[in-house]
This record gives sequence, structure tokens and C-alpha cells, in this order.
Amino acid sequence: MLAGILFLCSCNLDEYPYGFYSEENFYKTATDAEAAVNYAYGALNFIEYSRTIFFIGDMPSELITTKSDATVDNQDLNTWKVANFKTNATLEHFFKYAFVGINRANAVIKNIPNCDFDQSLKDQFLGEAYFLRAWNYFNLARNFGLVPMHYSVVETLEQTSSPLAADMDEIWNLIFSDCRMAASLLPVYPQPRIGRADKVAAQSLLAKAYLYTASAKAHNVPLYGNMTLSAAQMYDSAAYYAGTVITGQNVYGFENNLLDIYDVANPRGREKIFLMSMDRSGASEGEYSKISKMFIPYISGSTIYLKQGDANTYIPSHDGYAEYRTEIAFYNSFDAADKRKTHLIADKVFSNSSGTTISAQYPGSLPYPFCRKYIDPQFVGDKTSTRPFLIRFSDVALVYAEAAGPTAEAYALVNYIRNRAGLGDMMPGLGIDAFRDAVYNERTFEMAFEGDRMYDIRRWNRINEIQEVIDEGLTEAQYTFYPIPQAEVNLNGSLR
Amino acid sequence: MNNKRRKRQPFGLYCLMLFLFLLPTGTVVAQVHDGISVSGQVTDTQGEPLTGAVVKVKGQPTSAVTDVDGKYVLRNIANTATLEFSYVGMIKVEISVEGRTAIDVIMESSLVLEEIVVVGYGTVRKSDLTGSVVSVKPEAIRNVPSNSVERLLQGRAAGLQVINSSQDPGAGATIRIRGGSSLRGSNAPLVVVDGFPLGDAGDLKQINPADIVSLEILKDASASAIYGSRGANGVILITTKKAGKGTTTVQIKQQTTISEFSSALSLWRDPVLMAQLNNEGRINSGFEPLYVGKTNSAGVYYPSVEELQSTWTTNTRWDDIVFRDIPALNNTTISVSSATDRTVFNLSGNYYTDNGMYIEDSYSKLGLNVNVEHEVFKNFKVRVSEVLYKGNRNANGGLAYWRNPIYPVYNADGTYFLSSNNDFSHPIALTEHQTNKTAMFDNLTSVALEWQVLPELKLTSQLNYKYGKSTQDVYQPDKYSEGGTFAPKGRAVIDNWEGQNLVSETYGNFHKLFADRHDVNIMLGYSYEYYTSRGSALVAKEFVNEALGNENMASGNPEKNEVSNGFTESQLVSGISRFNYTFDNKYLFTFTARADGSSKFGKNNQWALFPSGAVSWKIHEEAFIKGLNIFDEFKVRFSYGISGNQGISAYQTLSRYGTEKYYNDGNWVTTIGPGYVSGWTGPGWIYRVWSGIPNPDLKWETTAQADLGVDLAFFNRRLNITFDYYDKQTSDLLRERNLALSSGYDKMWVNDGEIQNRGIELTVSGTIVSTNDWDVSGSLIFSQNRNKVIDLGNTLESGLITDQRTGMLFEYSGNSLEQYRSYTNILAIGQPVNVFYGYKTGGIIQTLQEGLDAGLTGDYAQAGEYKYLDLNGDTVVDENDMTVIGDPNPDFMASLALNVRWKNFDAGIFLNAVVGNDVVNTQAFSQPGNQPFRWTPDNPTNDYPRLRENRQTMFSDWWIEDGSFLRIQELNIGYTFNLPKEKVFLSAIRLYANASNLYTFTKFSGYDPEVSLLGIYSGGYPRLRKWTFGIDITF
Repeated sequence: MLAGILFLCSCNLDEYPYGFYSEENFYKTATDAEAAVNYAYGALNFIEYSRTIFFIGDMPSELITTKSDATVDNQDLNTWKVANFKTNATLEHFFKYAFVGINRANAVIKNIPNCDFDQSLKDQFLGEAYFLRAWNYFNLARNFGLVPMHYSVVETLEQTSSPLAADMDEIWNLIFSDCRMAASLLPVYPQPRIGRADKVAAQSLLAKAYLYTASAKAHNVPLYGNMTLSAAQMYDSAAYYAGTVITGQNVYGFENNLLDIYDVANPRGREKIFLMSMDRSGASEGEYSKISKMFIPYISGSTIYLKQGDANTYIPSHDGYAEYRTEIAFYNSFDAADKRKTHLIADKVFSNSSGTTISAQYPGSLPYPFCRKYIDPQFVGDKTSTRPFLIRFSDVALVYAEAAGPTAEAYALVNYIRNRAGLGDMMPGLGIDAFRDAVYNERTFEMAFEGDRMYDIRRWNRINEIQEVIDEGLTEAQYTFYPIPQAEVNLNGSLR
Repeated sequence: MNNKRRKRQPFGLYCLMLFLFLLPTGTVVAQVHDGISVSGQVTDTQGEPLTGAVVKVKGQPTSAVTDVDGKYVLRNIANTATLEFSYVGMIKVEISVEGRTAIDVIMESSLVLEEIVVVGYGTVRKSDLTGSVVSVKPEAIRNVPSNSVERLLQGRAAGLQVINSSQDPGAGATIRIRGGSSLRGSNAPLVVVDGFPLGDAGDLKQINPADIVSLEILKDASASAIYGSRGANGVILITTKKAGKGTTTVQIKQQTTISEFSSALSLWRDPVLMAQLNNEGRINSGFEPLYVGKTNSAGVYYPSVEELQSTWTTNTRWDDIVFRDIPALNNTTISVSSATDRTVFNLSGNYYTDNGMYIEDSYSKLGLNVNVEHEVFKNFKVRVSEVLYKGNRNANGGLAYWRNPIYPVYNADGTYFLSSNNDFSHPIALTEHQTNKTAMFDNLTSVALEWQVLPELKLTSQLNYKYGKSTQDVYQPDKYSEGGTFAPKGRAVIDNWEGQNLVSETYGNFHKLFADRHDVNIMLGYSYEYYTSRGSALVAKEFVNEALGNENMASGNPEKNEVSNGFTESQLVSGISRFNYTFDNKYLFTFTARADGSSKFGKNNQWALFPSGAVSWKIHEEAFIKGLNIFDEFKVRFSYGISGNQGISAYQTLSRYGTEKYYNDGNWVTTIGPGYVSGWTGPGWIYRVWSGIPNPDLKWETTAQADLGVDLAFFNRRLNITFDYYDKQTSDLLRERNLALSSGYDKMWVNDGEIQNRGIELTVSGTIVSTNDWDVSGSLIFSQNRNKVIDLGNTLESGLITDQRTGMLFEYSGNSLEQYRSYTNILAIGQPVNVFYGYKTGGIIQTLQEGLDAGLTGDYAQAGEYKYLDLNGDTVVDENDMTVIGDPNPDFMASLALNVRWKNFDAGIFLNAVVGNDVVNTQAFSQPGNQPFRWTPDNPTNDYPRLRENRQTMFSDWWIEDGSFLRIQELNIGYTFNLPKEKVFLSAIRLYANASNLYTFTKFSGYDPEVSLLGIYSGGYPRLRKWTFGIDITF
């Protein structure tokens, strides 16, 4: 009896997980660590996040609109009906999945230092986690302004509530320092690894982040005025890191041919610094990509063919859902000679690979000329290997140009991009403001449909020039940032 | 492999060792006396000899057993010795020899006076009970065969709710004691068989009801808190036939049952009427009518109404095809029991087959129960019992007896007639091509040691082991089944499960009467339980040839194969104690405490203490009451205690990572990290629900229960009354809490919320007549439970919805019904659990203007539609007008049993009633019998709407009916042959017949109002009336 009672106190009632991974049985080896890093990348691929890149990066601007039977939430984003933004599911998902990514990155940052394997691998994995945390906060800061700050992985109920960043310095300094850490820890691979960030990606993101804050401060975007660094200092830093990307390595660079930039078959193309890694062999959306279908209108349900620029070849594609529809005014604003219009926006589709019959064209039975940057000619049903860009080289080149101002190097980079698109050089001898404005304008066409346009508008404080914003009579407080979702305000004890 | 997991393995071994330590080391010295011989006869009060009564010399090892004539001889005993006469069910008699050599004894039955009641870890005289415990006599429920005993308990005990909503072969029952007290955890009582805690009550298929000798239901905290973290839902203790003392007895029990529907099926017998109404419904919907003599797009010819009236011949009676002609159930039990002076042996075998109403739908089981008790030493007993169960279920239920009568069974070429490519309800095609078989096996082994260390102290140690296994074979064919067609081309499944449960318990009982008035009884012990469950499933799809079903899984398309497996283990370590003190046989006190350490609880709450206390006063022992000469018993009891509900499944307190796939540099790799997908949400269920934050504070749900009871007996105990009032408060309910988006998670488990159950229970039982030729007895049982949701946590964190009109906070419960595209039940603060929430209606709209005036628009405002009411008066009918429209919980339950014996004839009737519960009759308009009463411009009824196929019906009180019923549940008659002894080898034969569900009085318009706890009636088939014929033969 006594022995029995003694047992009660001495026995081990801990549970050990079976059939699932847990902090108990994970982070033991380099393979574990790499699985954890890839888990953090995977957060970018969920449809809650990947589709929204365009819904909030392009659609609220005047580049694209959506179909009339799109969900109310996406219609609202398109037309700036701000009344329901706090409960807008698209915004809520984007917000949540950024934090899912942050939490996954934070788990890597916490656990890898305690693991026992090769230091260079540890550096690489840590660098990638810092990069991903920065990437997600970069998206949050640009869209929502001040957001809850999670510096470490959430493991208890108490840690699920975290206060908002005190000011722009807090959130952007984390982005800057994470990017610097990532840049110092990561190598440049001789051959880029699909779906993995390297030193160049970190430097590029750092350049983009500095340009964002520099221009936002310079253009008096609310909250940015209080940042400690001056706009000039931040322009300098942006130019420095963008310059490092352009001259400090030889893995990445310009593609000579416009269509080659978007060649799905060449995921290691020179422009592709960081992308969403998806493949048509995946089982569910997110593993494979359907982004192409979002841009293409419904035509007949059968295979369509698209002309490859000036060449007399035609590549096949599925048709689509017509969710991201090119706005005609924007289409018409291109220079008629601009290959980014003639080669990258399709106004004709053909019914066979020889291009003998046009099955639809705009104007006509094609409802709108559509962006064809995401076409995968080897599509399988709905599935494609399209890997949308998150950072590409031409973007960084334009970041450099805007940050550095009208220097010879800056002119050379902008002119390369213009010449590639079949246009002449930019007007020489512009003053710094006019030059930056010209680069801004160039970005409109170069970066169109890549989930980037709205952020240029935001940092240039030009939201109030969007027609819908004018129509809705919105105030600066209503349009500068998306509101923190109501669900977050309700459930985050630190916000109440 | 995890090292930590290995460390714990020796613990089970320790338990086994500890168990062995209890083997006594002393030896017994035989004692010899010079003395006299004593002989005599032992009879009962009727003068019948008692065979197998034990006659023992007090304080000596000498004993004898009476023979068939009740005679005994004891040789060589002291002439001053005292003899003890004992017999099961009789009061022990002690007689001093005082030199006599012939002593005859008449023994009185103890069932009236000194009933022994099994309580957890011990027994107690019924008169000494301080808690609320009901004993159910198995004799009362033996006339009906059943796969599990729980189904038979309906109406047999106050406070016990048994719902037999399924009538399929081998179906279990839903059991509640004093209402439900958990929202997410189990609400089923714990069932304990011969000291072996087996788990949730409801499907105790392993134990043959014929083997049960007593059944106790522990209801209040004083009784159930001894089961600690599993006692909150009450406990059912079952004792099986162990030591039938006597000479060798062989018993054969045979029961055969024939079932029939107790009410008529509602079917389209007249295809003309069916076609007319169908056409009317389609025309009202703006569709082209079907029965117009045309071939539809699926290639099926639908005759016109005129054709149906004249030349059409096909009128298939699908119910004749789908249901068996004679659904029979057979139950055979053969038992052998034997007792020698030191060994008692019992063997029972059972073969049970239940053929359901549907063709090929069946269940069968084989059961074997052996137990042996042997006295190793005079003060040391070993008991071994072994139960084997082997069950087979061939599921072929739910066949479409309601199929369209104009469809033939076969086409002219002999193939099955299908009405479209997606016609998945052809009953013959499914019966012949679909497989759904489950084979089950269970083994229960118990070894118990009992050591009477001292007259006052007994040590008991019991080691129990259960092994259970099931294998399910499923094949869903292409073309005829939905799963097989969309797989595509057939879907085959093999599902394996096995579970093990080891329970080791050791406890000591100390019992002593001090100074003749202080009766002290102390029990102390410990219990260790280790449970594992392991499952795996294989799924293969897309078969080139379907001939093999699931026999060759590898012949499916390898790319479509799915495999899954799972395993859980849990441990429960407990310290148990009980202290009983009785002063002067008047004042009784009971205190129990159990400390439970469960691996399912969070790190910070691994140990829990469950105390209880009870006091009782036998007022009838007081002189001033004795003097009244009214009460044979007048006892008041009060108890209060705390018990728990483990509710959580294993591993909820651990962090849990998810796994995904990522396309890493040209290859798919598995990725792993914090957060896993625990469910899906949103329109189309495309958005993930993230869980996985550990909650080290997670713990049991706590139920605090107070019970006030009175036991009364009058007229020489021929009238007994028991009354109880209880108040049960369950707090720390396990719920899922919503988390801030920025945490990267959606939900986690927390303890939050409170439910209350309060009620009264009354049992009146009496022997009305008792003479040599006549016995008439009866009992009336009444129970009433009121439950209420007190708290569901924070509005925001729990995601509660606010009723706009009343401010009531609620959340939906149960399942969404496709018919209404909404949930029907809610959990609302201040309301009973699972009340119905929907629109109120005011009959049927008679004119469009009336509809518009009522705040309805579009189709909803048309004449002949439901008139949903605008409750908040804002001139619009919308979700703000929804309100609580019904309550599925009964107001009260009552039952009445009457038994009559005249000479060798006996008869009994048992009535059961459930009153005041609401039932959603989802078939209220779709039943063929109702449709002719529809609204039409010529028949402007207020009872039924017009026929319309494209109506989006909203959930309203129109569908709610009173589910009250009074059922003549059992009516039986029997005859017992008294056979002259010695002449025949048979000693008794009893013949009987029983009718179950003879008639049901109810206003409910569906087949039967006895539905699941949520109160949703969804058709099925009528309640079965069962005719049972039985014979019991004893050799």
C-alpha cells in the first residue's frame, strides 16, 4: 500500500507526441532545420496570401479592375469602399498569413542557434529566416502601417497578444536590421536556388525598404515624418544597397529579351532574384499556381494560343477566370511602340499553334487585353509552374535610379530598360525631382501587373489621385493605410 | 526514437510486481477437534429446500454445503460451536449448537431487508447508503434480447435517460445521467464491469445481459466522485454472475424475436397522385413538368399523368424489395456453473444474431465468459475471469425504400435501371456491389486476489487487461455509389484499429465496530491505467476491374493511394480513499477523495483532487419515530462533492507542428513547423484553421454536485419511496478559443464556460398483493431535469453571436442541415442546451399583399409560402427576427412497471413516457402522406405551403412538433413449470412471450419521436415492434 502511494508521486505523466512533430522531437538535425525554413517560405504560397498580392498591389490602383461578380470584398478593394475594410476577408487573410510567415520564421530564429550542425548551414538558414521576417513585415508596414510586433515565436496564450509598433522607426528598423543580418549571413549561390532567398535578395529587399521610407518621408506620407533617419540618408542607403546588387555580383542581371524575363521554363533566369516557388506537379493550389488564370478572360474553355512577340511562334495556354482585368485607360496610356504593351499584353488569342485563326481579339469578343506575363505553355489543366516575382533585377535597377537621382549610372540603367522595351532614351539632364518622377513613371509600365504599383503610389503619397478615391471623397486618414482588421482588434488584448 | 518514451515502460511492470507482493506469505494451520456431528435441513420461508447453502463453524475452517434436499452434515465439531448458515440472497443465520445434533434452519430472503449494493471499490448495505445509488434488477429486463444491456435500461431508473434512436442491428444507445454537463467532451457515464472501468456507457456489447446479476447507477457526487476525473457523468457498475453457489447447474436460455414496423410506411402507392403533385411543384417553380410523356436529358421516360392512369404498368413496391420478409433475431445463452467447497466456476456462452429490417443488413456475435474463483488458503482467494467477444457487422442500411415506384428494378436487358448517371440509390445495385463489413474482437481478462489479512482488514488487488480490435472492409463501386463514381472507378478501404487498456488496482478495506456503536469502514488504494489506441487505414481508388472489391488494394491506381495511421496513449494514476462512519446505526457519514494524475492534462494541472462528503440520518431508528409505527425506513441524505470529466483527447496540451510540401530548388520537399491545420472554414471550406499552441494549463471539466434525498418505507416495506433533488454545476468547460490574427494561429483549447443541471427524481415501488397464489407489484419512476447554459466565455474570444432583439449571446451547435442551409440548434447563455433557433411563422401567406405587408419580399412573399414573422417590427424579415423556437430537452420522463403472478403464470407491463420535448420533423412536408394537403388557390389552407421545388426553406417553428410520447414498451407473459425433483433431470422450465413497443401514444406526425439528443427527426423507418418468444431451461 505504501509502495503504491509512493508511486503516485514518482510516476511520469508527461505526454510524448506520436505521429506528429512538436517542439519535443524537432529541430534536431540540419534536415529538420531546413524543413522548418521551407515551412516559413511555404506561408507565401497559400491562396489567402498569394492571390492577395495582386488584389492589394495592383487592383486598388488604376491598372486593373475586377469582374462584376467578384466577391464583395474584392470589389470593395477595387473601388475603395472603405466602410467595410475592417472586416474585409481579403485584407484579413493577407494580414494573418503575413504573421503566419513571421511566426514560422521566428521559430527558426529561436531554435536554430541551439542545434548542432555545421555553422555555415546554420548561417544560411538563419539568414533566410531573417529575410522572410523582414519580407512579411515589409508587406504589413506598407499596407497597414503600425502593426503588432512579434519578435519571437508564439508558444503560449499570453504571447498571442502583442502591442502595435510604437512608431514607424520600430517596424522599419526591424526590417532594416533583419535584412542586414540576412545579407551578412547569406551567400550568393553560383546558381540561384529556386524558391530560396540569398544575399542578393536580402540586399534588394533592404534597398527597396530604404527607398520606400525615404520617398514616403520625402512625400509627407503620414507617420513617416517622425522617422529618425532623414529622407536623404535613407535615399543614400537605398542607392548603396541597390548599387551593391547591381555591381557586387554577377549571377543576376538584365535579361536582354523582354519575353525571356517571364519564361516559366527558366526559373533561374537572370532577373529572378526572389519568387513564389510553385510547380504544376503540386497537388493543391499554392503548391501549383493558378495566377495565369486570374489574368486571362474566359474564352471558350479550350486551349488558346498567344503570339510570342515579333516571332512567328505561338504558345498554348488555358483560358481563365477574368479576376484581374486590365483597365482600358491604362492600356491606352502606354507608348504605342512600347513592347511591354505589344508583347506583354495580349489583345489577340489564336485557336491553333500556327496562328492562322484568331479566336478572339480586343476590341471584339475579347473583353479586355490581358496581361500575359504569367503564361505557362506547359500548363496541365488549371495547374501551372508560374512563379510570380517578388523581387526582380529590373525593379532593383529602378530602385537604384530613383534613389541615386540623375547620375550617369542611373540614366544607363533606366535607358537599358526603356531600350529593351523598344523605346528611346529618357530625356537627359533632368533635375533630381523630375528624374525621380520620370523613374516613377517608368516603373508604372515596367512593373505593371506584378503586385507593385500600389506601393509606388503609396510612398509617393498619390493615393488621392486615384479616381475612385476622389469619387468616394476619402480623407487621408481613410486611405493612407488599411485599417487593422476588426478580428485582430477584438482578439488582441494589447489593442483594447 | 525518443528516449523519454522508453523510460516509462517499466511502470506497468512495477504495478504487476506490486500486485504480486500481495500474495500472502503465511500458512494456515489445520485444527482438529474431538466432538459431535450435527445434521439438519435448510429451507426458505416457503419450505423449499435450499441447495448449496454453506454451513460453517464459526472461527473454524470446517464447513459443509447443503445437498439437493437442503440437507447437511457436519462431523467432529465442538458441542459449544456456533454455526453460520449463508446463502446468496438470504440473511445469514448464526445458531449455537449447544449440544444439539439436529438443527433445521429457515432462511429469510435478504433482498427485502439487507440488500447489498455495489459501490466503487467495495459494497455497502443498501440501508447504509449515503449517496444516490439506484439498483436495477436484471430480472426486469431479461425478457428482451439486446446486444448491449444499456438499451434495456430505458425507464428503469430515475435520472437515467436512455435514447435508442437507432434501431439498426447491433446499434448502441445514448446514455445520460442527470443531463449533459459537457459541450465538447463525452457526456456518457463511465461503465465499470466487475471492478474494471471500461469507458463510456452506450455500447457494452462484450457483456451478455444474461450474465449480469446486479446493476448499480451512481448518480450523486458522494457515489461517483470515487471515480474522480471520470465520474462527472455518473457511473454504471455492473456485476456479472460469478459464484453461483450450488451443485453443478446447466442453463439454456433461448430467445427468438421477430420484428415488424409499428406504423405504416409513408410511400407513394399511387403513381398518378405522385406525378400530379410533382408536376404541380415543378410548374410552381417555373420548371418544365416532368410527367408529360417525354424522355428527359438522362434518357429516362416519364409518362404523362394520363398514361399513368391508363396504360402504365410499372409500379414497383420498393419496400417489399428493400425490407426483409421476416427480420429475425436469435439469442442463445448456455451456461454451466459449479461450486465445490473451495472452487466456484462459471462458464457462459452466447450466440446472438440480429438480422435488420434491410436485406443483407446484419449483426452477429459470439461471446464467452469464464470465471473461476478459488480459495487458495482459507483467507486468500484468487479470481480469474475471461471474456471473449467476436462480432461481425454487415452494414447494408439506409436503402431507398422510398424510390420512385415508376422506376423498374431492372432494364429490359437485365441491367439495373438507373434514373441518371448520378443515381446512387439503387438498392439492389448497392446490395450486390457495395461492401461494408466490420469484424470486431474483444478480450477482457481480469485477475483478482483477495486476502483477508485480519478479520477487519481485507486487501484486494485486481489486474485488468482489455484488448480490442476491429477491421473494416469497404468497397464503394463505380457507377452505383457516389464515393466510387467520383473516386473515380471504385473506392476500396481497409481500416484497422486496435486498442489496449491495462488497469491495475489495489485497495484495502478496514471495517470494525468499536464499542458496539461506532462502525468504521476505511478504504484506501491506488489505481493505474494505461491506454493505447492504434489505427491505420488504406484507401485505393480507380480500379481497372472491380471484381475484387477491396481484396487487392494494389490493383488500384497507385497515384491515388492514400495511407494514414495514428496512435494515442494515455495514463491515469490515482489514489483512492473512502471513510465511512456510522454512529449507533443512526448517523452515517461518508467522505471520499480521489487524486487523479492524468497524462491528458496540461503540465501545470497534472494532478486533481476530487473530494466528496455525505451525511445521512436514519430517522426511523430514533425512538420517537419508532413509536409512531409508521415508517420502516425514514432516511434523509445529503451529499456534496466534486467530480471531473477528462473530456480532452490525448495530446491537446502539446505544441503541434504541421507538415506541408514546398517546391525547393526543383524538388518537392516536406516542410515542418509550428501550427497545423486543424480544420477548414469559410465559404466552400477553402480557408485553413490553424491550431497547435500548447496549453499547459488545460485541465478536466469540474462538476460540483449537491444532492438531497429521502428514502421512505412503509407497511412492512411493501411501499418504498425514494426522492432526490440535485443541483449540478459544471465549470471549466473545454472550449476552443479564438486567437488574434497576428499570433499566426486561429484557435486553441481552453477551460471556459459553465452549465447547470438541476432536477428531481422520484421512485415509488410497492408490493400490492403477496400471497401464496398471488403477487402484484409495481413501480413508478419520475424524473425531471432542467439544464441551462450559464457561461460560454468572452463574447469576442469565443466568437459568440448576439441576438439583436434580446441581446442573448449564443453559438451554433450540432450540424448544419442541408434542408435549411443552416444550423438548427444553439447554445445560448440562459437557455437550456441545444435549443432550436430560427424564425417564427404565422401560417401560410394567402395573398401577395399579405406577404409584402408581413415584411417578406420576392419568392418569400408569394401566396402559398410560409409566413415568417417580423418579430422586431422593422418591416423586414431577416436574421434579426430569428429567435428561440423550441427545446429538445424533455420536461420530464416517467415510467410505470406492473408485475403480476398467479400461481405459475406471470405477466408484466412496462410503460415509458417522455414529455415536453420538441422535435424538428424535417419530413413534415416531404412525406407523401402530407403533400396532398398542400396549399393551392382552391385549398387556401394555413397548414401546408404550396408545392415548390426551388424553395429555399428557412428553419422555422413550422417544423417543430411536440415529441412527447407514452409507449407500451413491454408486455409479457410467462409460465414456469414446477418439475418434480429427482424424477426428471430437468429442474425448471420457463416459457415466456414478450411484445416490445406494442403501441405508442404521441402527437408527433413522423414515424417515431424518439430521436437523438439534438431533437432532429430525419425519417428513417418506423419503430420496430418486436415479438420475442423465450424459453429458459435449467438442468
